[in-house]
Amino acid sequence: MISFSQVTKRYPGGHEALNTVNLTIEQGELVFLIGHSGAGKSTLLKLIAAIERPTSGVVSVNGQNVGRLSHRAVPYLRRNIGLVFQDHKLLFDRNVIENVLLPLDIAGTDRREALKRARAVIDKVGLLKREKANPVSLSGGEQQRLCIARALVSRPALLLADEPTGNLDAGYAADIMAMFRDFHQVGTTLVIATHDDRAISALGGRTLRLDHGKVAEVSA
Amino acid sequence: MIGWLRHQKHALTAALRRLRSQALTTLLTALAMGVAISLPSGLYLLLGNLSGLAGDLPAQPEISVFLDSSVSTAQKQAIAARLKQSDIAQVRFVPKDEALAALSTAQDLSDISAGLTENPLPDAWVVRPHATSREEMARVAADLGKMPGVAETHLDSQWAERLQAALAIGRTGVWLLAGLFAIALVAISGNAIRAQVLARRDEILVSRLIGATDRYIRRPFLYVGALQGLLGGLAAGGVLAIAGGILRAPVERLAGLYGSTFHLLPPAPLEIVAVLGLTGLFGWLGAWFSVSRTLRQVEATR
Repeated sequence: MISFSQVTKRYPGGHEALNTVNLTIEQGELVFLIGHSGAGKSTLLKLIAAIERPTSGVVSVNGQNVGRLSHRAVPYLRRNIGLVFQDHKLLFDRNVIENVLLPLDIAGTDRREALKRARAVIDKVGLLKREKANPVSLSGGEQQRLCIARALVSRPALLLADEPTGNLDAGYAADIMAMFRDFHQVGTTLVIATHDDRAISALGGRTLRLDHGKVAEVSA
Repeated sequence: MIGWLRHQKHALTAALRRLRSQALTTLLTALAMGVAISLPSGLYLLLGNLSGLAGDLPAQPEISVFLDSSVSTAQKQAIAARLKQSDIAQVRFVPKDEALAALSTAQDLSDISAGLTENPLPDAWVVRPHATSREEMARVAADLGKMPGVAETHLDSQWAERLQAALAIGRTGVWLLAGLFAIALVAISGNAIRAQVLARRDEILVSRLIGATDRYIRRPFLYVGALQGLLGGLAAGGVLAIAGGILRAPVERLAGLYGSTFHLLPPAPLEIVAVLGLTGLFGWLGAWFSVSRTLRQVEATR
C-alpha cells in the first residue's frame, strides 16, 4: 500500500530528516514509528500525505507517485487518508459535530447521510453526549478522540497518527490505543508515530525505528 | 451535478453565516460601497431627469428667417427662389398675421397682443435644411442672412443642441465615474475578503489537510464578496432614495415656479437590477483577486 524507495528529504537550510529510506507497508498493517524527537517520524508521515515532497526518491501510496502529484490531485489523495495530529488541529469556532462534519462537507456528502455518519463515529469515540459542545470545553483526551473521529468519518483506508498520545496521561493514552486496535481489526492500515513504549507493547504490530533519518526494523 | 449544487448551497450558507457573524463589519463595508456606488448612479439619475426635460424641446433643427418690414416684392421672390435650392428640405412661410394669431392664443401672452395697435411681427420663413450638422446649419443660416430683405436668421435648435452636447459630456462623465468607482468597489471588497481569509487561516490550513480543493476553500469567500457587493448596491439604493426624498419637494417647487409639472423620475426596475448585478459582480471579482493572492500567502507561511 505504501512504499518508500531511496527516499531522502532535506529541508531548506540543510537539515536532512530522512536519508535514503526504503520501506514497504502492506494493506491492513499496524506500524509504529519510534525514535527520538527529530529522528524523522513526522517527516515520514508528511511525505505519505503529500504535505511535504521528497528531495529525491519515490514515495508511492496505492501505486500513485505521491511526490509527483499535481497540486490539484493532492486533495483527492488526502480524502483517502485520515490524519491525527498531536495538537489535534480542531476548529474552535464550531461545535463537536461540525468539526467532524468538515471532511464530509469537503467531499460533498449528502447532509443527512453526513450527519448519520458523524453521529456514528462520535458515538464510537464516546463523545455523543458532547456533540453540541465547543471543543475548547473538552479535556485533552476528549479533544484527541474528536480529532480521531474527524479522521475516521470519511472511512479512510489509511490512518496516519503523529504522536496521538503525546500530551495525554496514561489512562487516556490507553483509551486511544485501544481505539486504534479496533480500527486495525476492521482492516484499516495504521501508521502511528510515537515514543510511548507502553502503547506498543500493549498492541503488538510492527515497529520501525528511525534514527538520524535512517530506518531500521525492530523485531518484536 | 448534484454534488456541485450541494457545494454551492453549502458555500452560500457558509457565506451568509460569515456575513451575519460579523454584522457590524458587513454593514460598514456595505455602507462604504453604497456611498461609492451612489455617486455615479446618482449622477446617472440626474442626467436621465435632465434629458427627460430636454426631450420636450424641438428635436428637428430649424432656421427661422425673419424678413425686413420694408422688404420689396422682388426681394421676396428672390428669397423664395433661393429656398427652392437643393440644400433646403422643407420650408414653411409664416405671414406676420398668422404669427400674431399664434401669439394671441399662446397662454399668458394674449393680454400683450390685445394691447397692440399694429402688428410688430415680421413675415418669416421656417426653413429645414437637408443636412442638419452644426456646420451646415450655420452655413445655410449665414447664406440666407446675407440676402437682401432678410432682417435676421435664427437657429432655433441652438440652445437645445448645446444642452444635448452638455448632457453627452455628462454621460461620458458618468461612465468614467462608474469605471473609477467599480475599481473602488473591487478594492473595498478585496480588502474585506483579505481580512476574512487571514482570520480564517486555521480553518483553511486544516481543510487543506483533510482534502479540501482550492475551489472548495475559495467558494464561500467568493459568495461573501458577491453578497457584500449586492448589499453595497442596496445601500446605494438607500442613499439615493433618501437623497431623492429630500430633493423631491424643492425640485417640484422650483419646477412649479416655471409653470412646469416636472417630477423627479425614479430609476427603472431594469436599471436597479443592472446596478445590483454589477455591484455583485464587482464584489465577486474583488474577492476572487484577493482570495487567490491571500491563499498563496497563507499557505506559504504554513
